[in-house]
Amino acid sequence: MIRIVTLTRIDPADLAFLTRTLYRAFGVGTEHAGEKPVPKDARTDDGRLDAVKLLREVDPIRTFADDKVLFVTDQPLALRPGPLGEPPCWGFAEFGGNKAVITTTKLPQRGVTEASIEAYQRRLAREATHAIGHVWDLHHCYDARCAMHPSWSQGLPAEPEMDLCSFCREKSERKVRLAKT
Amino acid sequence: MRGPPHRHPDEPREVFPAVEGVITDADELKVGDRVVYPNQGVCAVAGFKEMEVSGTKLQFVTVKREEDGALVHVARNKVPSIGLRRVASADQMEGVFHYLAAQFDDPELDWKVRHRDNADRLIAGGVLGVAEVVKGLHSLSRIRPLPTKEREQYDNARHLLVHEIAVSLNVPPVLAEDYVDYALMPPAGVTFKLKPPPAPVLLPSRPKKRRPAAEEDELGLGDLGLDLDLEGALAGAPAGEGEEAEGAEKAEGAEARGAEAEGEGEEAGVAAPRAGAAKPEKHAKAAGAKPAKPAPAKAARKAKEKPAKKPAARKAAPKKPAAKPAAKRGGKKR
Repeated sequence: MIRIVTLTRIDPADLAFLTRTLYRAFGVGTEHAGEKPVPKDARTDDGRLDAVKLLREVDPIRTFADDKVLFVTDQPLALRPGPLGEPPCWGFAEFGGNKAVITTTKLPQRGVTEASIEAYQRRLAREATHAIGHVWDLHHCYDARCAMHPSWSQGLPAEPEMDLCSFCREKSERKVRLAKT
Repeated sequence: MRGPPHRHPDEPREVFPAVEGVITDADELKVGDRVVYPNQGVCAVAGFKEMEVSGTKLQFVTVKREEDGALVHVARNKVPSIGLRRVASADQMEGVFHYLAAQFDDPELDWKVRHRDNADRLIAGGVLGVAEVVKGLHSLSRIRPLPTKEREQYDNARHLLVHEIAVSLNVPPVLAEDYVDYALMPPAGVTFKLKPPPAPVLLPSRPKKRRPAAEEDELGLGDLGLDLDLEGALAGAPAGEGEEAEGAEKAEGAEARGAEAEGEGEEAGVAAPRAGAAKPEKHAKAAGAKPAKPAPAKAARKAKEKPAKKPAARKAAPKKPAAKPAAKRGGKKR
């Protein structure tokens, strides 16, 4: 089961689209599990949220074995800089764990037209699929049409696909099958 | 010191300088040490055990894979040879990132060589070897999608690299993977100030192609009563009429004998160069004043690859009747 927890108010239509997409991508039930406050300790000096701390400090959610929790926030996320600098952060996940967080700050403007709303929803669903993919042990994929392709890649099209490539899909299906209790 | 496994029993084992951090003696290990088991990932030394195997008491080092808790028992005397090494230091990791972000030469396009080299790098190349596999296959994936086996190899290498970086830099694996891809695929407008990347991993040379049993000068031409003037043909000196005729005769004879020998299995390989060797004289005849090209070696190689021609059979074969299939087919179609 994938439980979506919002750390901010999200449009119900967007949530419904997200739920449907995650169910289609991983074949496991998905539901909105309510809203939680942002943990105070997670805030960094520059006003962003430390993604690693956020997942550690956020209020616990009631889950069962193999449940995955996806947090959605509208605050920018920060990551610890690496040897070559800080990579841009669209989301963060516990690899093979059960929690992930995504941010809506880097998504295209939602706007008011049908087209812009659809573009926003598709990108939101892509980032959610990407984060949950990491939770299911998926690595980044070199295929720019796959949802596991890095979100900042220059090869990514303007409106990227929100589905997994066949290799990632098979791998995730294997993991889901093994994990099912 | 490390050395690759024997390729052939008769070839001496190559020895290379050990990859940094390789454990050469089991006594170096203590319980709780974190080590990298080639192709398995980061493990922690869980203890030392004595176990009986086929009636023999052996000392084992038990390591526990951190990813899933699987236990691996390694015989103490095998520790130096399996490539067990310490987790890469932060300095080594920095070198790896500079290597990942650097420009990459054209990837190896021969999949057999590439797959073999990558397998070697994953086993004996240390963390830089793993990074080389990831970078090499990533570069190749930009040219064309990877075949299934290499896609799996790429995924495994990435998995090993990400986990070792995570342990070395003490960050979550997803963050380590972000670092890797930030170096491999930097976002638009980002440039890195790179240091010269570390030297690539030395790989054991592959066994050379075995030379054919029959060498050029051991073809047994003398036994067959042949005395080909190859040197004269090579020099390209225009030969006289009589000599030409003689050469042609010899060539004919050689071809005929070659055809005879063809049926005798191994001897066919011997006969083939003979036919080829006779060619230069023919060329000299046809070209007239033109000097003959020094092609007998090529011709001999070609002849080795192809079975020797059968001149007798060729002569005896009746001429093919003029083809009429087009008309027939056309008629059928109609």
